[in-house]
Amino acid sequence: MKVPKIQTVCGFGCGSSLMLKMNVEAIAKNHGFQMEAFCGDVGTCCSNQCDVIFISKELSERIIGRATVPVVVINNFMDKKEVEAKTLEYFETLK
Amino acid sequence: MSEKIRLENISVAQHAENWQEAIRLSGELLVRCGSITPKYVESMIESVNTLGPYIVMMPHFALAHAAPCEDVKVSDMSIVTFKEGVNFNTDKDPVTIVMTLACTDKQAHIERLQSIAMKLMEEGMVEHMAECQSAEELYHLIND
Repeated sequence: MKVPKIQTVCGFGCGSSLMLKMNVEAIAKNHGFQMEAFCGDVGTCCSNQCDVIFISKELSERIIGRATVPVVVINNFMDKKEVEAKTLEYFETLK
Repeated sequence: MSEKIRLENISVAQHAENWQEAIRLSGELLVRCGSITPKYVESMIESVNTLGPYIVMMPHFALAHAAPCEDVKVSDMSIVTFKEGVNFNTDKDPVTIVMTLACTDKQAHIERLQSIAMKLMEEGMVEHMAECQSAEELYHLIND
């Protein structure tokens, strides 16, 4: 399995996306998955090279249709259970 | 871990008529101490007008911010709680906590924001924060 590059996205790439990135990194570590994560902003995220975009429900409408990689929509960035379920679901697709 | 949010940047049991006022109250704390200019506060409101209420990143909690810019003099954070929740027109309403994040660049604030994120992931933390009766009580909850 190649190491996926995950882009977490919020409005400006320095607030909630950072919190989501931490959450995703912690989950990947707990489950022993290799990955790379970085923050992006909604305006430019579609042109940043990555394998998947994690984004809030509110912002996702702006990129669905434009994004060329899978988009994982997260309702509550701080909900460990939701983020864990969706992160693991994504890793499943890589197998 | 050092102080995450200074006492003078914390205010509890406030009242706001609408989400714009809630953001202004939170931003005002940082204007007062010189960390941001009033223009940054308007940029935060403008970003919700443009991008929608995505800043309500978890139920009852909004992380107000705009892009790093020259209106930020010092990377800083403030937090205000509201007695009656404020509607941001999302399914995570009512919002009882507005945290303002101001950063001079995309790196400066990372460590502090991460340690706050750890707090926010604790079960029931947002409720506990909203229930604090004094700035001192909230200060200790966040920083201890």
